[in-house]
Amino acid sequence: MSGEPTLDEVREQAQKSLSDLRGLCSDDDVRAAKALVEKLRNQRDYELMGRLAEAVSRIDPKDAKNRRLYAQYLIDTGKATAAIDLLQPLARRLPKEHPEFAEATGLLGRAWKQIFFDAGDKASGGAREAVKEAIKAYRVPYESDPAKNTWHGVNLVALLTRARMLGMRVAPDLDPPAVAAQVVAALQATPPAKRDEWFLPTLAEASLGLRDWTAIDENIRRYVAAHDAKAFQIASTLRQFTEVWDLENRDERGRALVDMLRARLLGLQGGEARLTPEELQRVRRQPVPDEGRLEAILGTYGAQTYQWWKTGIERAASVAAIRQKMGNRMGTGFLLRAGDLGREPADELLVLTNFHVVNEHGANQGLQPADAEVVFEAADPGRAYPVAGIVWTSPVDNHDASLLRLETPVAGVTPLPIAAALPVIDDTARVYIIGHPGGRDLSFSFQDNELLDHEGPPAGRPQIPGVCRLHYRAPTEGGSSGSPVFNSRLWQVIGLHHKGGKIGMPKLNGKEGTYGANEGISIHSIVAAMRG
Amino acid sequence: MAHVTFIHGIANKPAAADLLRIWREALANSADPLPLGDLGVSSSLIYWADLFYENPDPDVAAHEGVLENTAQAVDGGGGAQLPTPRTAEEARFIDAMRRHLTEMSDAEIAAGPPAVAVNPQGALERVPLPWFLKKPIMNTFLRDVHHYLFDVEFAPPGRPPARIQQTIRRRYVEALGAQAITGPHVVVSHSMGTVIAYDCLKRVADCPRVDGLITLGSPLGVDEVQDKLQPEWRRDDGFPHERVAGGWINVFDRLDPVCGFDPKFANDYCRAGAPVVEDIAVQNEGAWRHSITKYLRQPAVCRALRRLLHL
Repeated sequence: MSGEPTLDEVREQAQKSLSDLRGLCSDDDVRAAKALVEKLRNQRDYELMGRLAEAVSRIDPKDAKNRRLYAQYLIDTGKATAAIDLLQPLARRLPKEHPEFAEATGLLGRAWKQIFFDAGDKASGGAREAVKEAIKAYRVPYESDPAKNTWHGVNLVALLTRARMLGMRVAPDLDPPAVAAQVVAALQATPPAKRDEWFLPTLAEASLGLRDWTAIDENIRRYVAAHDAKAFQIASTLRQFTEVWDLENRDERGRALVDMLRARLLGLQGGEARLTPEELQRVRRQPVPDEGRLEAILGTYGAQTYQWWKTGIERAASVAAIRQKMGNRMGTGFLLRAGDLGREPADELLVLTNFHVVNEHGANQGLQPADAEVVFEAADPGRAYPVAGIVWTSPVDNHDASLLRLETPVAGVTPLPIAAALPVIDDTARVYIIGHPGGRDLSFSFQDNELLDHEGPPAGRPQIPGVCRLHYRAPTEGGSSGSPVFNSRLWQVIGLHHKGGKIGMPKLNGKEGTYGANEGISIHSIVAAMRG
Repeated sequence: MAHVTFIHGIANKPAAADLLRIWREALANSADPLPLGDLGVSSSLIYWADLFYENPDPDVAAHEGVLENTAQAVDGGGGAQLPTPRTAEEARFIDAMRRHLTEMSDAEIAAGPPAVAVNPQGALERVPLPWFLKKPIMNTFLRDVHHYLFDVEFAPPGRPPARIQQTIRRRYVEALGAQAITGPHVVVSHSMGTVIAYDCLKRVADCPRVDGLITLGSPLGVDEVQDKLQPEWRRDDGFPHERVAGGWINVFDRLDPVCGFDPKFANDYCRAGAPVVEDIAVQNEGAWRHSITKYLRQPAVCRALRRLLHL
């Protein structure tokens, strides 16, 4: 049993700390609050982190570390320019030998890099300016102590390489491969006892600058294939490789590397992958890397990991956006074979979504069938299928499900397979959601969720007659309504996502208390209800 | 709900929960994946390494991977010593079992023989690993088999002594009886665990019935082991039909030294004189062919288990 508090416990402590800081608080209260800011950062609860960092700043505005963490909150919640406004005076007032100087200056580079990440057109004036400023920020701490500030160095290599690709002459005195070689040498000279958890990711990324694929593959494998690889680290590497190094657009080898990292990331606890429909189509078309390279990057069972990932990608093609005709996405649905639901004609393809997404009378802010259309964005984004009608439905407080018949037969999309049983509940049980989280953009999200409980056999005790609910927890946010819930290894449908992300969800099966959980409805209970 | 009961083999192991996870993941990572949890199949593990070792092996990664560079990774962890016979019968047993593994004397082994013997005779001599790895394997195998079959009282440091066979039998019977199972119940055993599984299913009167048995890398074909399973074991009636309702599938690698030179059981464990055990040969990777994770990742093993579970 680990001594680390859970996210729910940290959140509870943070709420109490916020309350303490509003009153007459002691030095101990402030110290505890500062520690919690960092813990919330580690748990990636940025909103609460920002509120607490703000509260601490009002009491101790000169605390450089808290101000730096506050800036990190701003960057991670899309407020990079505000972070820059905070970090620039902070970096100016700190003496160069202050331990926070390198951190704050590096974070300033990170803020500029984020602006570059977010730029739709990486060759635009704003993006180019952001690269220039990021290089300037990373360069200072790196050159002041190249042996120590290797993470600044590796970012410098990445951004210099990208700047050269963009035809920019920023920092013309620096040669990216030469800086990469210095960073690799500094890292390799680090005594093993002083190597932290970022040692291997930094070495792997720095190796990219050497342009030696043997060294790149070897260094990436050392941490990617490790049994204790961390999702947040691989996610960070992936972001660097795609957004800064632009590996996907360089060559087949770079694309394959990015795909392998995505496969590994999704296989890790807390892993999540987001792809645009275009990326999904590209990955579906992309040839499978040869077995030797899969093994070289992903370890001995790389071929199986990659095959599992490719199966997930194929499943995404059967996940559809439910849109208001010519309008916004209102939810998600997925294609099923009528025969698998006990319906005739058995080969008819139908779409399952939530009642609160589509229902006969537009109740619960849903769409009426005549107003809805279905688009399989990963398979054929240009084709919208109008909804002919609802063949079966169950209201929100039951199965929250509507089964849609489309006006024209769906072509080129494979119906999703239904699992034979619900997964066994144990501490390793996980499920995956493929959906469009938050409805913010067109990306598909593959989310790893911890399966917390369900009302199915052998120990389940359904509270609503005929309805079997599932509870699962994503590390970040819930997927959108109507998404399929898959078992973790076979990508077979076990449920229909129903509602998500709520703190205070009562536990299932008569257990006392609440937790933060998403809720789905077992596909088996939906099928049983359809069969009557 | 269907259920799989695993029972592990020789040498020290990670803690029970870690070991169960490693076994389940090995099945799920097969080229023909069998993710038990996803399929609604519950599973449990009968753990007995604590009877021989003070603490579980903390190097969990050694048991997960396919490296062959440490004793733990090749079923030799824990530093077992060769068993000391108490009787002439035990001495003959240990000597005979040792000869199955190697023709070399302790002095020859200590002198640092080549990784692969020029004229390999014993099963271990066919294994292209250095003797500093093979020696702990041999010691562990001989110690564990001897202590179980002769029901030796043994105590690891810091633990009370326990009669090995009696204690493991009791755990086995209790574990099989503890499961609320509505579907097929299959026992998957490895190495020394196959001897325990067979012994209990054939020879322990109050052992619950199961629906199927899988043995992986088993020494049950070795004459000296069979001798110790008499009188219940007979060549023409060795199948444990008293407590196994369905099939018995035995999977072996010809270069797995624990199976010795007798890896097939069909003729040794007949039912009413007829061969009924299904022997399946597989080829594991690398130098150490006895590894449980290598067996569990074999598609043939996954197919066999799927069949016995009626999936």
